[in-house]
Amino acid sequence: MTRLPFPMAFAALSALSALLSAACADVPADGRIGITAPNGSEAAFGPVAAYLGERCGTLDCHGQRARNLQIYSCEGLRLSQVDVPICSRNQGGKPTTPEEHQATYRSLVGLEPTVMSAVVVDHGEHPEWLTFVRKARGLESHKGGVLITPGDDQDVCITSWLAGQTNLTACAAAFGYPKFPAPPTTQ
Amino acid sequence: MRLRASIAFAVAFAVALGSVSCADPTHDNAVDALGGEAPGVRPGPTHRPGQPCLTCHGGSGPGSPDFSVAGTVYSARRQGVAVSGAAIQIEDAVGTRATLFSNQVGNFYTTPDTFTPVYPFQVTVVLGNLKEQMQTHVGRSGSCADCHTDPPNQTSPGVVFISPPQ
Repeated sequence: MTRLPFPMAFAALSALSALLSAACADVPADGRIGITAPNGSEAAFGPVAAYLGERCGTLDCHGQRARNLQIYSCEGLRLSQVDVPICSRNQGGKPTTPEEHQATYRSLVGLEPTVMSAVVVDHGEHPEWLTFVRKARGLESHKGGVLITPGDDQDVCITSWLAGQTNLTACAAAFGYPKFPAPPTTQ
Repeated sequence: MRLRASIAFAVAFAVALGSVSCADPTHDNAVDALGGEAPGVRPGPTHRPGQPCLTCHGGSGPGSPDFSVAGTVYSARRQGVAVSGAAIQIEDAVGTRATLFSNQVGNFYTTPDTFTPVYPFQVTVVLGNLKEQMQTHVGRSGSCADCHTDPPNQTSPGVVFISPPQ
């Protein structure tokens, strides 16, 4: 067995040690990947979340954990394990909470963070870059079908939020979707 | 001889491939999770009340016929009894209406030939003068018990129910 001369062995060990310590030490314990996110405040996103809960968050759609996009609301998936998907307190439920709006926000923004970042940086000029917008508009296959049309109240509610100025009027009107045909009138 | 062996291998491989590609373990597991029939109840309109009907009757088998909408109605959200004669009124996204009636074990169902709703649809349960409208619309599942399970919990509002007068 041949032995390395001491200086060479020492150098090799030092290099290995430096490599290992460099590999471990450069990652800060609180490291984050930053993105430019849309406004997540209750004032800006709350009305959007309320609409999404009503329109997309039923238990058989995005109101369940099996979905990539999870929407929390009193009409579907609840954040707290002790809450049930019932909005009325008279029936043993409780309305959607701001915490559930935040959970929906995190799910939505975390779905495609880099794309979301690009959309926000672009001041919402291209909301269709986001998969959830394309699916809702029917530009991409969506089990729930085509739900919104560019320019309608639902679309404006979402895209105005992405653009940084939530249109509260559109969101309030969007809350009434889906609309069902009026019953036939009897003469 | 070598050719015959090659053909036999190719056929066996094709059969194996076909059986693998048709298997849906998720569906199979969902069917298995429902368990066996209740003692003394034969498969038919009164079997398996409260279970998600379209798991078996949704087009992937093993139940027949296929259903488009099906469920069970009870007298209370919890620990209720089956309600027979309730009318389940459905209106779909394009205004098509259908009314189903619950049988003696509370089951109701319709087939795709009779009614295939355009989603979403809304549901109202009527019993005599009582009327209960479902609080949300149905987005994509025709199987009521996919969501309406007992007991109520984080992901279920409880069973479909309408409370008859005492």
